[in-house]
Amino acid sequence: MSSENGSSRLHNPWGFIVIAVVSATVVVAFGLGFLLLPRYQESRVPFSTKDGVYHALGFHIHGKAFNTIQPPLRVPTYIAWTETTIRQATAGDRKSGEFIATNCTACHGEKGLSTEPWVPSLAGLDPLVLYKQLDDFRSGTRLSGPMSAIAQSLTPQQYADVSAYFASLPGLPENRGERTPRPNSSYRNHDPVQRLIYAGDPKRGIAACASCHGPGGYRIGAPALEKQNELYIEQQLQAFAQGTRVNDMNMPMRTIAGVLTESEIRALARAYANENANGP
Amino acid sequence: MEHGKALSLAHLWTAFLCFLPAIGLGFWQMLMRSPLPAPVDDPNTYYASVTAHGSIMAYVFPIFFAMGFGYAIAVSALGRPLQGEKLGWVGYALALIGTVMALVPVAAGRASVLYTFYPPLLGSPWYYLGLALVIIGSYCWIALMLVNFRTWKRENPGKPVPLAMFAITACAILWGWTALGAVCEVLFQILPVTFGWSHTIDAGLARTLFSVTLHAIVYFWLIPAYIAYYTLMPQAAGGRLYSDTMGRITFILFLVFSIPVGLHHLFMDPEHGAGFKFVQSVLTFMVALPTLLTVFTITASLEIAGRVRGGKGLFGWIRALPWDEPMVLAVGLSLLLLGPGGFGGLINMSYAMNAMIHNTSWVTAHFHLIFGGAVVIVYFAIAYELWPRLTGRPLVSKRLADIQLWLWFWGILITTVPWHIAGLMGQPRRYAIFDYSDPVAAKTAFLVILSVIGGCIVLSSVLLFFYVLVRSSFAPVAESMPPMRYALSVNPPATVPSLLNGFGLWNVILLALVLIAYGYPIGQFFFLHNQNAPTYSLTREIAK
Repeated sequence: MSSENGSSRLHNPWGFIVIAVVSATVVVAFGLGFLLLPRYQESRVPFSTKDGVYHALGFHIHGKAFNTIQPPLRVPTYIAWTETTIRQATAGDRKSGEFIATNCTACHGEKGLSTEPWVPSLAGLDPLVLYKQLDDFRSGTRLSGPMSAIAQSLTPQQYADVSAYFASLPGLPENRGERTPRPNSSYRNHDPVQRLIYAGDPKRGIAACASCHGPGGYRIGAPALEKQNELYIEQQLQAFAQGTRVNDMNMPMRTIAGVLTESEIRALARAYANENANGP
Repeated sequence: MEHGKALSLAHLWTAFLCFLPAIGLGFWQMLMRSPLPAPVDDPNTYYASVTAHGSIMAYVFPIFFAMGFGYAIAVSALGRPLQGEKLGWVGYALALIGTVMALVPVAAGRASVLYTFYPPLLGSPWYYLGLALVIIGSYCWIALMLVNFRTWKRENPGKPVPLAMFAITACAILWGWTALGAVCEVLFQILPVTFGWSHTIDAGLARTLFSVTLHAIVYFWLIPAYIAYYTLMPQAAGGRLYSDTMGRITFILFLVFSIPVGLHHLFMDPEHGAGFKFVQSVLTFMVALPTLLTVFTITASLEIAGRVRGGKGLFGWIRALPWDEPMVLAVGLSLLLLGPGGFGGLINMSYAMNAMIHNTSWVTAHFHLIFGGAVVIVYFAIAYELWPRLTGRPLVSKRLADIQLWLWFWGILITTVPWHIAGLMGQPRRYAIFDYSDPVAAKTAFLVILSVIGGCIVLSSVLLFFYVLVRSSFAPVAESMPPMRYALSVNPPATVPSLLNGFGLWNVILLALVLIAYGYPIGQFFFLHNQNAPTYSLTREIAK
């Protein structure tokens, strides 16, 4: 039992026994997990050993069994926030963007602040938001009057440029996504509109507007809505609800707008249009 | 010696001073989740608060505590001055700076990613850097534990290393290996994104790396408590430890088996196949062994003490134990709570049963029961044991200390039992607010209010704990203070096999097991199809 001289360690069997016990445990665990149990995962015919091991490693082994006829693909947007897209969309040149933006002033206002209630203000919007919408207009996944033709006449680099220009203008309050305390913004609030904005309504599957559109929450590609034109917000919610606007990836807006009532849509649009994070 | 004491005391004070606000935040979080009125009442603040509460309770508090306790053990159990005390202070300073660095962005609402990070969620880089600094600080402690362990062994050839030192060294080695998972996740996955070098994260790989840390960290919290079980409690009870060898085997088993089991936190994750999940589920059962050994050994040690004190009959020895000793009381209560906590854990780690409770409040209730009920209650008792030795001032009142421990016991029990049940009823975890007008949530309202009452008791217990500590710190210095004594075992070993006196072979087995259990699950990400996903930045600055 002594460890004073090295030779006794050679005769001490415990090191060997320990390794043997641990190895046996591992072998049994692997045998069960990779050879025996996966074979009987399916209620039909047991897998072969090879398929069982593949299954245990997490590979799809069903082959064509699940490749049934798929409905035709309808793509809501061609923008995915990959490395390349984000780099492209944020690499705009403000100066050349200002030049392109002379085409926008007729509708979107002199400095990106629209005076027409159904046209959105663009000043201060996140460049990623503007980039995505321009690309959706180009590809036809979002339809709106002259925007498709305008977007088709521009290159992706020009999208980035004009986005950088509008983002740099003072206008809509910047949605920085800083989650500083905003008291009274849970279900305990008695105002149903404030509840919808900050807490949502899980009974109807409605997530809180603010968790993506601010104030407080930020999500890549989601526009800040504070001080946006009231009628524009209302019409977009209606369009999502009726399925005439479909460029939201994974359908969050179509799902939510579809279960909002008419009066809720109006109240939300009014609340956001009159909201101002920087003071009354 | 005097300086070693200052080092210990600084760590322990820091640990508990961080613990106090974290408890306050925890209580507020319970109010937020309940149907009762809550001040501030803001979900975003809730997530910031959970991040602060979790980061302190999971990292800052136990790390500072283990460091302070480790230095105290190195000095008192080895009976020699601490080697490399300067490095100890460097580690302390690093961990303290890291704590501030991590908590400021959390308070500013810029790092509400919860203490488990949850990539592709992304917060301020200062938060991750701060926590990394805390871990780097703790590596200084690991180095010192190893150096002091080795020096003592060299100076005392052939003698068994005192059990307390053996165990705290096992704890340090365990932490050294297991923290690497979170460190790799932060270094190679999260920080490159926060610095703007990349915009996407492989969430599957990040979660897998974190799972390397996430389970074994529990044993890093637990081992200091087990050290008190084995070496301080039998002494306080006036008896002896039933078996020194059993203690060594326990700590070795924790070291060997607690890391290659983390995949059981990812049973519902799609990035791994069923095979490795099953293998790690089996290995997780092996971690139950040291706890079963401990329950047996500690109960036997309690019985020895009870019978020495004249207890008779089948259960008479229980009544004969000195329950007014805070250490005995804390270990007794901790053992009681370890029971339901441990069995709950067996459910979590069973591959099939996990599906029932995954992502429900059951899991949060479980780790609060284990950490609060089995671990922190013993931390309190260790503090009561150490404070007089470190300050030279006696504890003002053992009675108040006992009341505090009882309050904590009932508080944790009343908090966590209804919480478990709410989880079984389907209450999801990580939710800031529940709409109690919803019939599904309404069924849990009563249970949640019960939990809040438990939280109230827990809070009052912590306030009482601070009252006792602060009062004791201002008590007059005692003329003589008995030194820290560690329990002798029934048969004190003159020698022990070298296998049970060092960690060489165990480190090899540990690494082999980690390689077998994690080699493929981590390795697959390097040859499988790229699974990077865009990050979900909390603030716009980070996304840019």
